[in-house]
Amino acid sequence: MAVPAPDTAVLVPGGPPLPSLLVSDRQVRMQRIWRAVKLWVPLGVVLFLLAMCFLLPLVVTLPSPTNGDILAASLPPLSPGHLLGTDTVGVDELSQVVYGGQVSFEVAAAVTAIGIAVGGVIGVTAGYLGGWIDAVLSRVLDVLIAFPALVLALAVSQGLGPSEIHVIWALSFFGVPVFGRIARANTLVIRELPFVTAARLSGTPGWRVVARHVVPNILPGVVSFGLLGAGLTIILEGALDYLGYGIPPPEASWGSMIASGQQYMSAEPRYVLIPSIFLVVVVVALNMFGDALRERWGAQ
Amino acid sequence: MTTRGLAGSPAWKLVGRRLVAAVIVLWGVTFLTYAVMSALPNDTAAGLLGLKASPAQIAALNRRLGLNQPFWVRYWHWFVNLLHGNLGTTLEGQSVNHELATYLPVTMELLAYALVVSLVLAVGLAVLAARKPNGAADRFSLALSMLGLSAAPYAFAIFIIVVFGVQLGWFPVQSNALGTGGVGTFFREATLPAASLGFGLFAIYARVLRGDLVEQMQREDYITTARAKGLAPWRVLVRHALRNSMFTLITVVGLNLGALIGAAAIIETLFSAPGIGQELLNSISNHDVPMVEGIVLVFAIITVAGNLLADLLYAVLDPRIRYGSSSS
Repeated sequence: MAVPAPDTAVLVPGGPPLPSLLVSDRQVRMQRIWRAVKLWVPLGVVLFLLAMCFLLPLVVTLPSPTNGDILAASLPPLSPGHLLGTDTVGVDELSQVVYGGQVSFEVAAAVTAIGIAVGGVIGVTAGYLGGWIDAVLSRVLDVLIAFPALVLALAVSQGLGPSEIHVIWALSFFGVPVFGRIARANTLVIRELPFVTAARLSGTPGWRVVARHVVPNILPGVVSFGLLGAGLTIILEGALDYLGYGIPPPEASWGSMIASGQQYMSAEPRYVLIPSIFLVVVVVALNMFGDALRERWGAQ
Repeated sequence: MTTRGLAGSPAWKLVGRRLVAAVIVLWGVTFLTYAVMSALPNDTAAGLLGLKASPAQIAALNRRLGLNQPFWVRYWHWFVNLLHGNLGTTLEGQSVNHELATYLPVTMELLAYALVVSLVLAVGLAVLAARKPNGAADRFSLALSMLGLSAAPYAFAIFIIVVFGVQLGWFPVQSNALGTGGVGTFFREATLPAASLGFGLFAIYARVLRGDLVEQMQREDYITTARAKGLAPWRVLVRHALRNSMFTLITVVGLNLGALIGAAAIIETLFSAPGIGQELLNSISNHDVPMVEGIVLVFAIITVAGNLLADLLYAVLDPRIRYGSSSS
């Protein structure tokens, strides 16, 4: 008796989880839609907030984020001219969110870019070359990971004075070793794959193997992790601002909005809630977008 | 870190290698801290003496504190003292060892509280979630851990202070009595700061463990065997899958220990808890290099020891790693 072998039912031990064979067309469609939602909704939220922070001030004239009218202080949200109200000295909340958000996004983008570039070069070099170079570079990454980067961030801002560029340098110390480790671990896996061996055996120079075969293959993992890293950077940047070591006042930032609203928290929780909500929404969106990309690219 | 090249080598050789690497890393951290603190412009003596100090007085104090010596000499002195178990003196003249002994227990108790509670809750929630992937408990756990990962600890802390401290009045809004009094005081004062520290940890642990449990249940042969034996589903999950997923959890806990000092510094300041984190912020702003070095060293030791323990536990629990067979 010939048993027709269902082509989807090949059991691979240790392979990816098999889809149940009893899935209806409708379920498949729903799954596809859900996958798309998980990717596009977070991306949409991030793009919306980016547009709000960078394009809105170009289109409409927002009130100053640093100077307020004391006569228009503590206005509730939805007041004319002040969509989110004003703070205790009359500074518009929305423009503080917008200009503070610019700083957060700029710092996150710069720190992530530096982390991917520098950490990537260190990690790929260590992973691809191996031997004593790997041993030395790995110890350097270990030292950087064991070094409490907050100390560095605070010391830099205390010694050189608070500024956006110092925040970026200081936070990069968080990013570089982490990206370095991920790049190294992924490189170790890719290096052993047959197509890399084939490229090496066919006499391709090392730098070319790295550029054409290793880098394109580790990039998905590193970039999708970069989105999670960007979210974390925004939280840390807020922490520095909150402690008064970040963006110097009176420039607006989400962390300093939280810090200055803290004392009115019982009576007027919105001074803390407004920046906190933006902070959480941005980070959730970045994390979910990163997760969706990772799921799609199958990266670790 | 890989185990390549260790094939067939006895376990103690692996331990030895890891220990040597750990000592090198610790030395690197102390050197980097000293270098960073010294490279930054500072006017420690002028700051201590106030505005009216004459240049001669400043120079005299600099000489007394040894700040007129080059960086290498100062680091060498500090390092030799360290080898004798002496971490030096703070700018105010107290012994760093003594200061650490005063402030460290408060932070350690706080972190232990946060760690234990978040681990217990995370394991419970992850098991519930993994029982039925995509079920209600699973979706709840995913949403909660996403929120915990994304909420800034300082914003979350302010939120719970207002709700549980101010509105409900269950807990004090400041924890400045931590480290004094008995168990009752501890739980009253430590619960809000520990919750602020623990929410993020809980989120990471629950997320990692849930992911690992679901993967084990779907992929592993031993699960199929256990099921085929007719074991109850929860028994397969807890006795078989959870036991194996603990590997992943141990690693994550070990790797995350070091990051806690940063969070502790912020949260302790927020709650005015007299711990080492707050002391760290103070000593950085006073440019108190020996004190900063002492605190950094303690937390670097915790980080490195966490990683080392995770590695060793792995080797003890999984013979494949001990004997260096092909493992990634």
